Amino acid sequence: MTANSKLIGLVPILGLVLLWGWLAASGMAPRALLPSPVDVVQRLFELLADPDFLAQIGTTLFRLVSGFLIALVLGTVLAVLSASSEVTQTAVNAFVRILAPLPKIALYPAMILILGFGHSSKIALVVIEAAFPIYLATYQGMRNVDKKLVWAARSAGASRLHCLLFVMLPAAAPSILTGARVALVISCIVVFLSEMMSSTEGLGYVLIDAARNFRTIDMFVPIILISALGLGLGAGLSALRRKLLVGYPQD
Amino acid sequence: MIAIEHLSKRFKTAAGKDHLALSDINLELKSGEFVSIIGPSGCGKSTLLYMIGGFIPASEGRILIDGKPVAGPGPDRGPVFQEFALFAWKTVLQNIAYGLRLQGKSKAEAEARARVLLKMVGLERFANFYPKELSGGMKQRVAIARTLAYDPQTLLMDEPFGALDAHTRTHLQRDLLQIWEEHRKTVLFVTHSVEEAVYLSDRVIVMAAGPGRIDRIIPIELDRPRQRSELMFDRRYQEYITQIEGMIDAFETEAA
Repeated sequence: MTANSKLIGLVPILGLVLLWGWLAASGMAPRALLPSPVDVVQRLFELLADPDFLAQIGTTLFRLVSGFLIALVLGTVLAVLSASSEVTQTAVNAFVRILAPLPKIALYPAMILILGFGHSSKIALVVIEAAFPIYLATYQGMRNVDKKLVWAARSAGASRLHCLLFVMLPAAAPSILTGARVALVISCIVVFLSEMMSSTEGLGYVLIDAARNFRTIDMFVPIILISALGLGLGAGLSALRRKLLVGYPQD
Repeated sequence: MIAIEHLSKRFKTAAGKDHLALSDINLELKSGEFVSIIGPSGCGKSTLLYMIGGFIPASEGRILIDGKPVAGPGPDRGPVFQEFALFAWKTVLQNIAYGLRLQGKSKAEAEARARVLLKMVGLERFANFYPKELSGGMKQRVAIARTLAYDPQTLLMDEPFGALDAHTRTHLQRDLLQIWEEHRKTVLFVTHSVEEAVYLSDRVIVMAAGPGRIDRIIPIELDRPRQRSELMFDRRYQEYITQIEGMIDAFETEAA
């Protein structure tokens, strides 16, 4: 991306903030319900100086990242299992077909009962939501690997297992990373949602707590922050993608 | 020596019908022989090559290599594909060292040997490039070096120069012949080009389609080492080409 196109990317964001500012200033919505962006940004900087608030961000970030990473491992392992033989493929696919259409949030109350109100129930929810796109992308990617690549490796003396892990899996890397990209966005949404529904800490909790107490300015701060977290983690993933896929065509 | 006995291959078509792709193939390849397979598309020439490679199973019959039946791929038979099939995530040097590393050689040892092969195919300056940074001809040189690295007795080449421009193709044919003269591996070479088949081979196997079968085997009795520029003026060379072109034309008229 050139510096120029980055600037162009800023235009819609700027437009959105201007629209928000105009709406707030016009008095169409009462000031108590829709604060001005200037007030919100001011509040954001105040809060960023507060160690307690930083701990809230830390909590959300921890749940988000650990859930995403576990999902990455779980989705990839399931896909490798699925690609390894017909039997495991049938078994894993049956499992996926049952679980995929289920709204995972419906399992959340059960998770809270089993795992408690702390980190584990949130992380578990992130994992089961984010693992699916990673599984599907990895599985598709491994199925689409050119069989001649596998033949070339097998002729050179590679075992089936070696082929699976060191030929098919790296050949599917572009797909896996695309799946990871989708999963990262889902993780942001789900971690926030889980904290809004039942939590005593984290950005989602900050939002719901502010709403309950009618502190509207405080309500908008976590929204901006979860966006920023998603943006930052996404940029990190893109940088990693460029590094990992240096030899791959295009991309 | 490779012996192919009563080999057949049936496929299930999408409509669920049985399709006989190859019917009763019998063939013997002597050690160190250069044999080309040519024929109209759909005659199963690549399928035959893949079966010898152990990549797809036979429906009937068997393939014996030095008396032992083929049960799967192995480092005694090295494939080279039209699509190169290089590992995108490995550098040129790592691609070539791949088979040697699988044999348990140390990294240093494998890379030293890979450098020798890289020099042989004239790409020593490109050791640390990724395949995508190379031209088609260079990629195929890397693929050939990667296969030669684990020293197979037989090279199974599936239209290796089919995707290259005429100039590159000529260069690679010459270099392949030179490597073959030096190492005398058995080569089975599938191609669409009659000229290429005659120029390179000791024998040309002409296949026909529907079902795929061997129609004729033509020994090419031209002296070696061969020079393309000299062959151009050789009447026998021209006759071989005309004869085989005529046979393939006849199949295609039949089919159409």
